[in-house]
Amino acid sequence: MKHSIIDLLVRPGAFFQNAMNDKESLKFPALIVLVGGIAGALYGYLIGGLTGQLLGGIVPGMGTIIVLSTAIGALIGTFIFWAIWAGVMYAFSLIFKGEGTFRRTLEFIGYGYLPQVFGTLITFIIALDYIPRIHVPQLSAAASQNPDLITEAVKALMHDPAMMELSQISMIISMVFLLWSANIWIFGMQHARKLSPRDAALSVGIPVVLYILYMVYSMAVM
Amino acid sequence: MKTVRLISLICLVLLAGAMVGVVAGYSTPESIVAAGKVYVSSATYDPAVFFPGDKGTLTVEVTNGNANDTGISVNHASLSSDTAIKSTSRPYDSSSNLGPGQKKTYSFQVIADGPDGTYYPTFSLDFRDADSLYYRTLAKIENTPIVLTIVDKPDTYTQGKKKTIYAQVANPRENTVRNIILEVSGTGITATPSKIFVGELAAGAKVPVNFSVTADQPTNLHLLLNYDNGDNPHTVTMDVPITFGVDKKQANPVISNVKVKNDVGTYHITGDVNNAGLETANTVMVTSLAPAVPQDPYKTYVVGALKPDDFGAFEVTFSATKADSVPLQLSYRDADGNVYTSQQDVKISASVTGAAATNNTGLPLIPIIAAVVILAVFIGGWIVYLKKSKK
Repeated sequence: MKHSIIDLLVRPGAFFQNAMNDKESLKFPALIVLVGGIAGALYGYLIGGLTGQLLGGIVPGMGTIIVLSTAIGALIGTFIFWAIWAGVMYAFSLIFKGEGTFRRTLEFIGYGYLPQVFGTLITFIIALDYIPRIHVPQLSAAASQNPDLITEAVKALMHDPAMMELSQISMIISMVFLLWSANIWIFGMQHARKLSPRDAALSVGIPVVLYILYMVYSMAVM
Repeated sequence: MKTVRLISLICLVLLAGAMVGVVAGYSTPESIVAAGKVYVSSATYDPAVFFPGDKGTLTVEVTNGNANDTGISVNHASLSSDTAIKSTSRPYDSSSNLGPGQKKTYSFQVIADGPDGTYYPTFSLDFRDADSLYYRTLAKIENTPIVLTIVDKPDTYTQGKKKTIYAQVANPRENTVRNIILEVSGTGITATPSKIFVGELAAGAKVPVNFSVTADQPTNLHLLLNYDNGDNPHTVTMDVPITFGVDKKQANPVISNVKVKNDVGTYHITGDVNNAGLETANTVMVTSLAPAVPQDPYKTYVVGALKPDDFGAFEVTFSATKADSVPLQLSYRDADGNVYTSQQDVKISASVTGAAATNNTGLPLIPIIAAVVILAVFIGGWIVYLKKSKK
């Protein structure tokens, strides 16, 4: 990696202009996504722990399975989302007759994940404070016979005041750092797909804004 | 003629002398003194005090108070009938000897045949060698029965519920009565015990008699008190009305300060139980009824005993699906162990989810506004940037 991380975060245009001179490589972007995945796994471990507590009473040992699957899911999911974001933005850039390989798009989108790593870490730290304050309902083994009861339990967990507050803070932080990533991605797409600033902004902005609106909608209807 | 008169006078004097000689042969100064030392040492009536019409016994004990070898011969012992105390037994007609220091007992059957009052039948005893002994006995006739009173009883009764009645037996007579037995009966009445043996009751004494009554219908409780005055049976009766209704003094536990919390299908209801009655409510328990299904840890909450105006907290846990309200059952026992139950409906839907909705399910305006503002700033910033970059 010949270029500064500071440039990536503060002057992404200059960073990607220089990066275009380098050979396509997914090594460093994958490392960023991996760190982001690990941060996500840590956060997932905490949230999965709550679900584990909730459902652990129904089947002994189920709590551990839920915690592990949540953490692993968060790790793998980060890589999957990397590919999805890259694919969606690549598809949008096709509308604007963009040129450049998908591999380069994937590389630059990976770089743009860096702010979200910080965002996930901050969310994780805040979650450490909130998680102990969340009241997790206890379900007995008899609840396995009543799916409504489990649904109600999950609903009660999601509506816990501390949980609600954590979710809202988490959403705001995620949104802020996603927009920061979007800012980087616009410059990345501009160079990776040889787009005008306007086309690049639309290629990135449309899916990102839609995604954020979905996040806000989910928060509103929760 | 003078000779005839003289002979007649001599004959008369001889006859008189002979007669004096006969008398002097049975009654001597010594025998009269000895008879004077014979006395009545005791005279006892049983019963000590008669009811009019009672039969009884007078026992007279005669003691020869002479010392040495002075025995006394007695011929006849009798009891003179008074106006009210009449002797129904024959006098003692046979002669007998009463040695020095010896005692002899005479018994007479009597019947009290008169109104209330004090009477003095006389006992007499004839001596062979002296005059008779007379002794006035004292007998009383009193028509005062044993008193049976109800000390405390419930104001009203409930069908099938056991209630305790506190009674008292008192003896206002001057003598002891025996074999007192109280019998409790009535139509549709189960009394425990139905027959109570009190035994003997001294003059002026009283004894408590408690029994429990379970009534199946409104009726009269019949109390029959049997007792013996001497060997004469007597009875006292009393009727106690058994009426059904609400006992004004009974315990009245009331649930208040009810709070409902829903913990994922398991409801926790907390509250207070106040005893608004005038008697103690024992073993107060609170539980939930269908459609609620009691769940651990508080399927049933035992509050314990609550004195009047006292209160205790309770908590019950249960699960319920598709129910707006559930009945809470409150039960307690009275002092006789009767179980009383009452129910109170508690709303669970509005109170539970409503509270949750207020706190948790409202639209999170602040984060939404923040998100919109941040998004607007981002989009606006880029629009400005793009316009500037065009120029």
